[in-house]
Amino acid sequence: MRELKLFLGPQHPGMHGNASVHMFVEGDIIKKSYLLPGMLHRGFEKGMERHTWVNNISLIPRVCVVEPDINEMAFAMGVEKLTKVEVPERAHWIRMIILELARISIHLMAYGGLGGPTGNYTLMYHAHADRNTILNIFEKITGHRIYHQYIVPGGVRKDLPIGIEKDIHAFLDDLESRYTEYRDLGVENASFIPRIKDTIMLPEEVVWELGVTGVGMRSAVNKPYDLRKVMPYARYDQVEFDVPVSDYSDARCRVDIKLKELVQCIGIIRQCLEKIPEGPVRVPIAPGQSMRWTVPAGHVYACVESSRGEFGYYMVSDGKDTHPYRVGVRGASYPQGLLGIEKYLPGTRIDDAALWIDTMGVCSPEIDR
Amino acid sequence: MNSINNVEYVSNVVESRFTVNKKEVIDQYQVSFEVKKDDVHQILSILKLEGWIQLSYLSAIDWIAENEFEIVYILMNWEKPVHIQIRTRINRENPSMDSILPIFPGCKYYEREVHEMFGVKFPGNPDYHKQLVLEGWDDMPPLRKDFDPRAYSDAHFSKREYSETFVNINDEKVSKQKKRLSRKERILNVKKGGKK
Repeated sequence: MRELKLFLGPQHPGMHGNASVHMFVEGDIIKKSYLLPGMLHRGFEKGMERHTWVNNISLIPRVCVVEPDINEMAFAMGVEKLTKVEVPERAHWIRMIILELARISIHLMAYGGLGGPTGNYTLMYHAHADRNTILNIFEKITGHRIYHQYIVPGGVRKDLPIGIEKDIHAFLDDLESRYTEYRDLGVENASFIPRIKDTIMLPEEVVWELGVTGVGMRSAVNKPYDLRKVMPYARYDQVEFDVPVSDYSDARCRVDIKLKELVQCIGIIRQCLEKIPEGPVRVPIAPGQSMRWTVPAGHVYACVESSRGEFGYYMVSDGKDTHPYRVGVRGASYPQGLLGIEKYLPGTRIDDAALWIDTMGVCSPEIDR
Repeated sequence: MNSINNVEYVSNVVESRFTVNKKEVIDQYQVSFEVKKDDVHQILSILKLEGWIQLSYLSAIDWIAENEFEIVYILMNWEKPVHIQIRTRINRENPSMDSILPIFPGCKYYEREVHEMFGVKFPGNPDYHKQLVLEGWDDMPPLRKDFDPRAYSDAHFSKREYSETFVNINDEKVSKQKKRLSRKERILNVKKGGKK
């Protein structure tokens, strides 16, 4: 049969973000494939070297478009590790509320995004409607819907507004009451299961070979390898939650784990709202005016558990300048997005390529940073 | 629980076998070693056997004043949760570092990116010289410190000219000095608590 060259994306309902998968197909079986990034390269790593530590706060959320809060958290943690600043207790709890709300929103978006390539659009509408409620809550807390710039080195920018607990509780109760509905629409849907079951397998050897983290890894190795558990940051060691795992990683299993994580997120936010103490929310990381802050010399790698895996910032300060000397971003979907598509996508069918991109959470902005 | 022991364990593994130029314990979950270029592959292999089977990050830093590049490898072990930074310095003139592809297959694209952004060669990696994100790049690798983005864009793109002139709708002609004075007055007023 003749070999054809096909493109998936950048304009395609199954493609997330501005990247493209080049595929050589025979019939509908992929013979060779690779990801073509670079359509969204904005030079963040160079840009951060040319901005002061404080200016960078407004630059970093743009690294990952759909999940900006992990960027702020990783950057703030890195600066705090370099300066050895202790964050106020209340700020830790506010950060956890923000991070978990963001995790719910991105899991909903990934789950709804599954509707694009598979044609299950009802799922997408429901998920995006709920995500919109979370964005409304974010708007009340931070003043912004997408790029919050709320978690800053030394704490959070401002205290929570009065009465926001009511909004958050109302949303969580609403989401919890419709949780079975979500399951019935997607992972328990008899007409949908054949489409996502037993496709896009991810065996344990492949996980270790590529360096996949997050949901992909936990669904394959059957161990609770979650950074919130193994090296707790903020106050994750003081809340109770489970890490859903599995030992058979197909597309359905990974989606299922994302849904189960939603329930855990709801539990964490409720515990946070219960345990949150009163007090200040921000301390300066260095004396003097914020534009002239300098940070002691050192190399530090700060990482957080994003919805897609280990997301980290590698930061170098030379101790003299008001700018970072070098900032490197470890994108959580770098291994499965580039090497995974090149090595393990061939052999599957064309229509499953979009499932790989969705269930592995390949995010092109963090590849082109 | 026993994470301090983990850092000590790593230090034992590395320091008993190799010369470490500089060791830094950042916190209970992270430790960094500066080692010689020739030891890197052996250290990474031994650490992989000890359980640090995940390569989390690979990148480079341009130390232009010392005329050196620094290559960074970050490893992670999920059973003994410690991030290990292995750093080594290489010469900035004609930089080259043997690939770690046989040890960590996941490094393939990281090395390609470092080659594209810093110009470090990785013999042993079959694809390191291919372009990844910068299509048709014709200048020096962009993350080097002597690359100036402003000069690059001035040379490559024409200056944009605006046809419409800026019009002040309010048509107020208040000088900057007057504005500054009135602001100072206001601040003084507030300091005095509104009293004259």
